[in-house]
Amino acid sequence: MPDFKHYISNLKPIWCPGCGDYAVLTGLAKAFAELNLETHNTAVITGIGCSSRLPGYLNTYGFNSIHGRAIPIASGLKISRPELNVVVAGGDGDMFAIGGGHMAHAVSRNIDMTLLVMDNNIYGLTKGQASPTTPLGSKTSTTAFGSISTPINTLKVMLGYNCSFVAQTSSVDPSHLTKMIVEAMKFPGFSYVNILSPCVTYRGNEQYQVIKANTNYLDGKYDPSDVVEAWKLVNTEGKYHMGVICRKPRPAYHEMLSKLRDTALSGRTYSIEDEVRLFNP
Amino acid sequence: MNTHDIIIGMVGSGGDGIVAAGDILATASASIGLNCLEIKSFGPQIRGGESSCIIRMADRPVYSQGGALDVLLSLSWEDYKKFPGELDVKPGVIVVTDEKEVPEPLPLNGGLKAGEVFKIPFDELVKESGNPKAKNIIALGVLAELFNLPADSLKKSIQTKFGKKKQEILEANLKALDIGINYAKGQKLGSQLKFEYKTGKQLCVANGNDTIAFGALTAGCRFFASYPITPASEIMEWMGRELPKFGGTMVQAEDEISAACMVTGAGFGGVKAMTATSGPGVSLKIETLGLGSITEIPYVLVNVQRGGPATGIPTKSEQADLMQAVYGMHGDAPHAVLAPADVEDCFEVAIRAFNTAEAYQMPVIILSDQFIGHRKETLPPFDVNKVKIVNRKTPKNPKRGEYKRYELTDDGVSPMSYPGIEGGEYTCAGIEHNEAGNPASSHDIHERMSAKRELKLSRLAKEYKFIRRYGAEKPDIGILAWGSTKGVVREAVEIANAKGKKVAALVPQLMFPLQTELIDQFVRSCKKVMIVEMSFSGQFRHYLSSYVKLPEDIIHVKASGATMFGVNDILNKLL
Repeated sequence: MPDFKHYISNLKPIWCPGCGDYAVLTGLAKAFAELNLETHNTAVITGIGCSSRLPGYLNTYGFNSIHGRAIPIASGLKISRPELNVVVAGGDGDMFAIGGGHMAHAVSRNIDMTLLVMDNNIYGLTKGQASPTTPLGSKTSTTAFGSISTPINTLKVMLGYNCSFVAQTSSVDPSHLTKMIVEAMKFPGFSYVNILSPCVTYRGNEQYQVIKANTNYLDGKYDPSDVVEAWKLVNTEGKYHMGVICRKPRPAYHEMLSKLRDTALSGRTYSIEDEVRLFNP
Repeated sequence: MNTHDIIIGMVGSGGDGIVAAGDILATASASIGLNCLEIKSFGPQIRGGESSCIIRMADRPVYSQGGALDVLLSLSWEDYKKFPGELDVKPGVIVVTDEKEVPEPLPLNGGLKAGEVFKIPFDELVKESGNPKAKNIIALGVLAELFNLPADSLKKSIQTKFGKKKQEILEANLKALDIGINYAKGQKLGSQLKFEYKTGKQLCVANGNDTIAFGALTAGCRFFASYPITPASEIMEWMGRELPKFGGTMVQAEDEISAACMVTGAGFGGVKAMTATSGPGVSLKIETLGLGSITEIPYVLVNVQRGGPATGIPTKSEQADLMQAVYGMHGDAPHAVLAPADVEDCFEVAIRAFNTAEAYQMPVIILSDQFIGHRKETLPPFDVNKVKIVNRKTPKNPKRGEYKRYELTDDGVSPMSYPGIEGGEYTCAGIEHNEAGNPASSHDIHERMSAKRELKLSRLAKEYKFIRRYGAEKPDIGILAWGSTKGVVREAVEIANAKGKKVAALVPQLMFPLQTELIDQFVRSCKKVMIVEMSFSGQFRHYLSSYVKLPEDIIHVKASGATMFGVNDILNKLL
């Protein structure tokens, strides 16, 4: 198994000291090492945000693209090059605000890639505006009198979309983080890992203590294949539930596509010359 | 009176089968090597609304729908009135009408008077055929007998069209054709207008949208993502049926932006990819186009232009997305814009778009329009073996960490790695970057990277080999036009020159970057310049004038969309 440092580049991250994203970078590199992935067959696709700077700090292929569009870019890549290992990553704003429209469809296609959302309840890169997951009443640069929107529960959203694999973890527990990424990447189909990754600059260092003190680790008694239980769990407030919340595989996109192509071909082969006949009178 | 070039208009209600009749005439023409152009127009209803088509058939080349109609078949005068300005008739037009409804006077466009009027008892004939849906085929039979249209070819077309259906349906339609022919024979009906033609080798029939799709497939496109939008959806539908046969994929995306981003991802992955839309979709995709420009990813975006702005007129053509195609992105975003001028040109333009995207590593926009996209034309069978394919430059034996994706080179093009290539790992970024691809915000790097990307543009303008010029060497009037207006312009030029007036036209294919020397040379060779375009604000003229010195006294033939310039609209200003 390669050393995880094999996957980390020389570029110095722009993240603040104490940022939760450092643990995600290390966790992802350790997951790559555990899965023994080749850097040249792996691509990490992100949008815009602090967490979206991730690809530049890895030695794999990467695409730091435009705000909210990592999922469709990754989809186009993975659909046309299914043999690649594709990880999509970004923040809560990139994924659930501007990028929110793409979630349902990535899930419905069930493309075999892993989505990591680094949830810090704020817009960090643009310096502290409220995000879709900022708690009600929080004062931020755009909610001077306290936020008046009820935050989105991203786990409920993804379960509601019928996502086959939903897990939650946190930068507070790096070994759990690595474990969840490995399981998600091994899962055949679209897998989602929500990572509580504190922003110490705009949400404060105490986030680490708050998460640690309120974590509920899912144990062997919890059955992730029971979607009704999963729904009950994510509706249970007061705790950060960590572990695999839902795991219900169904055929992935490339499998369906393979069958589709067989149907289109119906046992024969086509050439471009054959296509000219489509235009004959 | 004999003619080698006949223009027939047909109009009816939903269910009359007007469009099917038009299609049959088009394929019948193609099967015996006649040139044909078929244009359809409908009411706004999804089903059952008024529908019309114009068929022009000739045994010499035709480039447009021509002037006004020689013949008008009207199965419903109420529905004819729903197409003002579209079914204009010649004075003395020959009318074939259902005998049960013949308004006095006939409500012909422009208040013109008909010549011969043939009143046909369609209800009786339909009854005789035993097929309630046979009116259109019976009408074709009548037209064939009246004007000497190729009846055997019509039979063959009917056989091809209905051959895969039940035997009874095929036989019923063949019978309907005979009923129409025999009725006209029995009544000794014959028009003094006779279509005269020499047959030739079989041609293909295609519309612009299917042709662009086929050209893309031929160029190596194996990933296509789009969102349904009039008048471009046919491209996605064609790709959906054909790409899987070649190991490719068509994805119907959840929105326009997703479609463009999927294509970007595929292009990043080394796959030739395309998306197709219309004006509103391009507006949504604009940011993604800029991303493709700064990341230098090859892909193709098709805009089948329609009336704008916003929802505009989805079912009709216009040429007012030129400025958007050229200047729509924020920042300086080098890319290319190509415009096909007819259906046949769509094949070449699709291939050149992919080749240009690959050679210069940039997004390429194909600016088609609804008129070209939806009309059917006959054309010589596609010669797929003559096609040259260009692929992007890739790095040889790159070393990870040393390989520079955006290496500054003499020609502005850096070898492009993609996932799978060992040693070529890099992070592609929409943020400004240095040669290695790492984020950079200094003026110095931005200036050098801007120069690199712009160098590709200036090279493209110099290296793109294409001249489309018609008419006299030293013209009194020189016409500048682009896209679908080429058809009427070319015909007007030929007619004017035949009448002794020295006229020429230049129709560029590469719209951006503009080949300014070519245009400038043409302008200086003319005594006067005419610009023809379907844009109320005159986008083409303003665009040209920002790069080329245009004279003050330009004859500007412009109109907003949802109409077709007629040959006479141009000729009247030339003669």
